[in-house]
Amino acid sequence: MGMPDFSYLRPGSVADACALASRLGDDATFIAGGTELIPDFHRGRETARQLIALDGIDELRGITIAAGELRIGALTTVAAVAASALVRDRLVALADAARAIGSAQIRSLATIGGNFCRAVACADTPPAAIAGEARVHLIGAHGTREVAAEEFFLGPRRTVLAQGEMLLAIALPAQPAGSGSSYQRFSRRKGAALAVAAVAVRVTMAAGRITGARIALGAVAPVPMLVSRAAAMLEGERPSRALFADVAAVCADDALPITDLRGSAEFRRELVNVLTRRALDEASARAEEARS
Amino acid sequence: MNGEVLVRLNVNGEDRTLALKPNTTLLAALRLHMGLTGTKRGCASGDCGACTVQVDGQPVNSCLLLAVAAEGKRITTIEGLSHHGDLHPLQQSFVKHGAIQCGFCTSGALMASKALIDQNEAPSHDEIKEALAGNLCRCATYPRMLKAVAGWKEFEGVRFDAKPHVHAERDQKRDHDVVSHGVTRYDAPDKVTGRAKYTADIQLPDTVVGKILGSPIAHGIIKRIDVSKARALSGVLAVITGADVPDTWYGVSPAREDEQVLAKERVRYVGDEIAAVAAVDEETAERALKLIEVEFEELPAVFDPVSAMAPGAPLIHPEKPRYAGNINTRVDWHFGDVTQGFAEADLVREERFVGNRTYQSPMEPHAALARWEHHGERLTLWSSTQTPHYLHRSLSRVLGIPMGNIRVIRPAVGGGFGAKAEATPLDFCAAILAKLTGRPVAMEYTREEMYRHFRGRHKQYIDLKIGVKKDGSITAVEHTVVLDGGAYTSYGVITAYYAGSMLPTLYKIPNYKYDGTRVYTNLPASGAFRGHGVPQPRFAFESLLDMIAEELGLDPFEIRLRNAMEPNMRTGNALDISSCEFIETLNRARATSGWAAKKGKLPAGKGIGVGCGGFVSGAGYPIYRSDFPHSNAMIRVHEDGTGVTLHIAASEIGQGSDTVLVQIAAEELGVPYEWVWMADCDTTLSPLDLGSYSSRVTLMGGNAVKMAAQNVTAQLREVAARELGCDPAALTAREGRIFVREHPSVGMDWAAAARIAFSKKGPVVGTGSYTPPKHLGGEFKGGTVGTSPAYSFSTAVAEVTVDLETGYVTVDRFTDYSDAGTVINPVTLHGQVEGAIIMGMGETLLEDTIVGAGGHLANANLHDYLIPTICETPEIHTAAVESFEPRGPFGAKEIGEGSLLPVLGAIANAIYDACGVRVTELPITPEKILRGLKLRETSRASRVVVGAGVRA
Repeated sequence: MGMPDFSYLRPGSVADACALASRLGDDATFIAGGTELIPDFHRGRETARQLIALDGIDELRGITIAAGELRIGALTTVAAVAASALVRDRLVALADAARAIGSAQIRSLATIGGNFCRAVACADTPPAAIAGEARVHLIGAHGTREVAAEEFFLGPRRTVLAQGEMLLAIALPAQPAGSGSSYQRFSRRKGAALAVAAVAVRVTMAAGRITGARIALGAVAPVPMLVSRAAAMLEGERPSRALFADVAAVCADDALPITDLRGSAEFRRELVNVLTRRALDEASARAEEARS
Repeated sequence: MNGEVLVRLNVNGEDRTLALKPNTTLLAALRLHMGLTGTKRGCASGDCGACTVQVDGQPVNSCLLLAVAAEGKRITTIEGLSHHGDLHPLQQSFVKHGAIQCGFCTSGALMASKALIDQNEAPSHDEIKEALAGNLCRCATYPRMLKAVAGWKEFEGVRFDAKPHVHAERDQKRDHDVVSHGVTRYDAPDKVTGRAKYTADIQLPDTVVGKILGSPIAHGIIKRIDVSKARALSGVLAVITGADVPDTWYGVSPAREDEQVLAKERVRYVGDEIAAVAAVDEETAERALKLIEVEFEELPAVFDPVSAMAPGAPLIHPEKPRYAGNINTRVDWHFGDVTQGFAEADLVREERFVGNRTYQSPMEPHAALARWEHHGERLTLWSSTQTPHYLHRSLSRVLGIPMGNIRVIRPAVGGGFGAKAEATPLDFCAAILAKLTGRPVAMEYTREEMYRHFRGRHKQYIDLKIGVKKDGSITAVEHTVVLDGGAYTSYGVITAYYAGSMLPTLYKIPNYKYDGTRVYTNLPASGAFRGHGVPQPRFAFESLLDMIAEELGLDPFEIRLRNAMEPNMRTGNALDISSCEFIETLNRARATSGWAAKKGKLPAGKGIGVGCGGFVSGAGYPIYRSDFPHSNAMIRVHEDGTGVTLHIAASEIGQGSDTVLVQIAAEELGVPYEWVWMADCDTTLSPLDLGSYSSRVTLMGGNAVKMAAQNVTAQLREVAARELGCDPAALTAREGRIFVREHPSVGMDWAAAARIAFSKKGPVVGTGSYTPPKHLGGEFKGGTVGTSPAYSFSTAVAEVTVDLETGYVTVDRFTDYSDAGTVINPVTLHGQVEGAIIMGMGETLLEDTIVGAGGHLANANLHDYLIPTICETPEIHTAAVESFEPRGPFGAKEIGEGSLLPVLGAIANAIYDACGVRVTELPITPEKILRGLKLRETSRASRVVVGAGVRA
């Protein structure tokens, strides 16, 4: 199906973009890479009549480090995140998650901000960012605010963004010393396919023991999901197959999967179990390496 | 409404300013506003990659980028890849490696590759896979793309050799100059430059756009249609409904004509065509469709054949009493005596297998363009069809005008695999709307409409029973199949027969019973898909044969060899097998794959399996009764003798048939390959050929071309004999010379002989035709289906890795040996086999159209209906075991369909070998395998079956 008519507005600054969005209300939506938005128009799922294009706002682009915080501008392409040595050094799971998205063509258009704001349950970068304790910087008519990445999502295609508010950047704090991360996903084919289930893990180790862990799940709940109960089981423990199996089982229990075209809820739980174990293995091995 | 804005684009180094609406994609701007049609529209949703261009050097789906957002950016399209006519090294590499088949994905694949090599001059195979994962190729030319991209630098600084006669693979052992050599594809240069015109690329002045309204419900009676609002919309030129189209019922099968252009009373599936509009552009046409008001009396619907056959089920064609019980076709065959055969058996095994509704998913969406000329008396229709003749005939019958008043042109076709083997509502509606509006009408299916029109694989429910002696020799086979036909017949009658007729061509089956029932359901019609009706029964047979072998303690190869078909035999169902090197394909596949060292000896999760297959080389009978030869060719020699034009309305749809026919013409004429021009496939230029289906073109078209060439050569030999003063019979023609066979120095230039011939008698034209042998097949109902002049045979060995925790299957390696008779072109042959293997992998592991609530398809797009990508490409070894088929041109048979058939069984058997889980229901998903693995664990069984039921 073709696309409806819409007008295309191209503000030059964040302030202008927010002002436009507040003024136009529900009739308008932001467009970044468009890789989700354009197909949504075709499917009749998107009905906005005014597009506020963000690509003229340079301050939204780029990956920088300031005051120890790695800041990824919302308009940074997924390809740039995947290729960034800064991201890879800080949280390899996030670079891997970005690399897992779609195809090279999609990655060169899609933005990390779009991956967050479209709030699709199977989005790849949010679970990885959550595992790395990322915070999202928002700006709107009432100024700026910061939200933990896991609190950004309210439901499928719903976020905490208020009318006229936009995502400025994803900020990754310095990762604790001795941390390693991993992003594991399962899809039905190797090339360009959505995740059926995904698990992102960050493990921090000291003297052979796990001192902290964060586990986030993707595609198995209405929103990317931080599973604190499971992560808490790791603290103070030495990595072992039995421990990881117990933690993985808890993750599988805590997941809230649905049955759809890509897999049944039961299969997804099974995948969470397997992927969690694999992610813990990889992340803990990386954490050990980071120490040595 | 929102108006147009001025957009400045820099395309291929040129600055252009266009007035565009903001909702115009870059793809539409390039194709419609700039005429750059090398960039293709395959899905319009970023899934297929056919529209890939570079934007500031990055690869981008131009269908996802608004043109306004590309303002000021540097855009490179396929048209900008070559400079001043010199092909880019990457393009040359694609040509030389044979990395092109239908060509529809080629522009996009080249642009994605260009973006890669701009960043990384020497990419590894893994890097190429990552870069091209978003470029779907249904011909699955992936193995050759990998080689072409990896080897691009070899062509740096090389001027493209316009002479195509550069052999990628040269066959030294035969005394042929063109045949059996891997000459460059005839269509390759046009396809790598984006110059090849597909139907949707043809832009005529004043063209308007047509769109069809499909039914939103699966079954109902149309109570009222109101098109007044649609008609009143500005920009709408015509709106038609069932009342405006002929009453004629049509269909592929003359015995079951059950379709009408637009529904007149009843709709039978979601998508059934109700109305059509012509408007100034696509957007207006779509808007008009939304303004058409239709009121239905909704009826109960049935979505599977079991419910459809149940007593009291709603009737889908109640006006036709012959379809009582929704039974569309019934086949009841019994050859020999199965009761006795099973009584003689030492072991009888029975199993239920269930297939999947797979869709051909050609990369090019169906398209049609219609224009009336000569005061509205003559119709020209361009169509993306595999079968111009059947389309021509259907148009004539439905529109009620003689075939002589209709000109059908088949431009380049971006893949078919059976999806484009019959007239579509697009063809008819374009013709009718063009007549009404007095303007050319262009129509195209969206990707979703393609899935709704369907004509894909019938889902089959197969009960298969095989009886064997202790040594594995088969005593009897009983094969009972229920086919889900969907709402119309399409090719389905033939499918129902093929599902039974082809099992006995591979193994000797002394007693055989086949019951086939094709059932109407309220789903899109199933049709003919590569391997027509046979892949699922073949999957069942090859799976069950392995189960039996295991029970008897026989090696899977042993049981196959014990029963393998041999040359010059007649099957129980009266099919005459002539050439046959099946046994040799088995022996070679076993040896090359390292079977003995691997079978049963691989670590857990690794497995190896064998499957076999084969197919007809063209159907022995046409679809409708006719005495016309099946293929006809005409060769005209250019006046000065330095070229010839081959006229044959055969259909190049990606399989390489034009190349093969040109090779045959050149060989038989005795001229270089590059002398031969292929005339357009246009019914006013080229004589009848039945089209590209049932793997018929090489054998049938090839024979017609060979005869036409012989006819020309005979004329030139006479002329030359007079000049040289010898007997014409002593002369032969090779590589542009006519000479005395025994004294090659005595001779003259071919061109000189042609000039003399023209001077004396005018145009030098040769004609040829091919009719299959008469009286093929047995004297029983349906005995004609499965008949063919010749049969192909293949054996494939698959090696897989099963992730024992997730059930994910990776196909690591394939070894395939095929008997396709004499190989005419090794490059296109291997391309076909590789493509069949990868397509077969998709059918086995990934693909199924899913019917959601109310009969709505749940995955009618390339995002949810997953087909293999380049990342799925296994290591493939293919080789030919050549037989000489006396009925084929130079001994050739078919390859395109037969090579798909072994794949499903080989993978299923390999999965079983890897993990002890036998899945009998396609596709074999990770979820099913995992269910089997769990059952193995809980039941402690060494092997389990997962299918209609799960059991240890």
